[in-house]
Amino acid sequence: MSRILILGGGSAGTILANQLGGRRDSVTLLTASMEHLFQPALLYIALTGANANVVRDERRLVLRSVKLVQERVTKVDLNQKLVEGSSGERYTYDRLVLATGVRTDPEQIPGLPAVYREFGNYHSGIALAQRLWSALRNFDGGTIALGQSTPICVCPPSPVEGILLLDRLLRRRGLRHRTRLVLFTPYPRAYPAQGINSVIEPLLKERGIEVMTFFDLDRIDTETKVIHSIEGDEITYDLPIIIPPFFGPDINFEPSEVADPSGFLLTDRETLRVKGFDSVYAIGDASSLPTSKAGVGAHLEAKVVARALRGDRAIFNGRTNCPMDLGDGRGTFVIGSYRTPVVPYRPSRLNLLMKHAMARMYWASLRGTLEPIFDLYFWLTTPERLSRRRVSKGA
Amino acid sequence: MTDAAVVTKVDSRGTACPGPITDLAMAYRRSKVGDTIEIWATDPGFKPDVQAWAAKTGNPIISLEEGPEKITAVIRVVRR
Repeated sequence: MSRILILGGGSAGTILANQLGGRRDSVTLLTASMEHLFQPALLYIALTGANANVVRDERRLVLRSVKLVQERVTKVDLNQKLVEGSSGERYTYDRLVLATGVRTDPEQIPGLPAVYREFGNYHSGIALAQRLWSALRNFDGGTIALGQSTPICVCPPSPVEGILLLDRLLRRRGLRHRTRLVLFTPYPRAYPAQGINSVIEPLLKERGIEVMTFFDLDRIDTETKVIHSIEGDEITYDLPIIIPPFFGPDINFEPSEVADPSGFLLTDRETLRVKGFDSVYAIGDASSLPTSKAGVGAHLEAKVVARALRGDRAIFNGRTNCPMDLGDGRGTFVIGSYRTPVVPYRPSRLNLLMKHAMARMYWASLRGTLEPIFDLYFWLTTPERLSRRRVSKGA
Repeated sequence: MTDAAVVTKVDSRGTACPGPITDLAMAYRRSKVGDTIEIWATDPGFKPDVQAWAAKTGNPIISLEEGPEKITAVIRVVRR
């Protein structure tokens, strides 16, 4: 019997544990917290005041055959096959899966901790999302500047979704005509992937949203209320909404060379093995994979590793499928893969319904009971198929 | 004493969404004046992106070659 140890009880770790649980292998899942948060809900808590039940107890989400332990991992020695936790407990394994997610570190950007104390954000938990909603309720016009701290952003559609939902909120409250909305981005365009940017940019223009490109956040001066970029540009704000800088897990790895300078684990983009270690995998946001850090990726990567651990040949193709709320009752999806660049995907009401339906299915999807539905959906919407359809229509 | 200039090589071939410009922007954040960034990409959109990035940031492209298997851009960091 093989001992499989999974670190991290977010989407990726939970899905993988449930896919492996009940088989002949022993599966242990270490999680730092028993509170499992549905992270995409933070957008709606912060920008629409939603008050949904978005946290569940991890113990109710994991199959009984999985050994679930609350443990904050502090050290992973890949040479010795040894994991240490903050409790002092040590864990050994035959095969290891790192699904430890990301951490945010506002201290890396001067002025950002003070911004969060006053205005919150929508990427760092419920309390800060509620703080942002509270700041927006008190907002009475001026400039709102929204953007990301660094080029690495968990849920890449979230900056565009955020600014479009803000536009809707301000129109409903009769404040749009006296509010300047600015989306700043380190990229050459509003959305980095050109395929979907061609869909997004006309919408931003139509709604009077300014886009400042090549704006790499350097520091925020909270006295003068100015955001400065490395490139030398500035934005004066009344309300800043800043997506935090993301880093790899705060774990001491041995050898340290398995992580890149931001702490993300160097991972083979197809096999998902951590470079140099055949029995170690990284999935979800913790990896350095050249694809979106998003729930769909975590889900698909967990499935690939589940197959690999069962002894089957399994390859991750870099598939993205990020839903995007366009703030006007319609939605779109960011669909691409390693082989096929992101395709332009026509906005529709059905797409937004699908985004909300997928959110409702989230808890069930962790248990793996909806896999046939997801498999069919992903098969029908492969980027290659969508690209061919687009070409055949002469789009 | 100042830190020695470094050459950072970034392999961004086959990068899916959000694309190789993310890797360039990240390497730029970590760089200092005097450094060189060499980036490899396969995304055809990278060529105009890196040219626009260089024009905006004022950091010159030393070379930009499009081969059968990859686009290679070499950038000298002169300001940030």
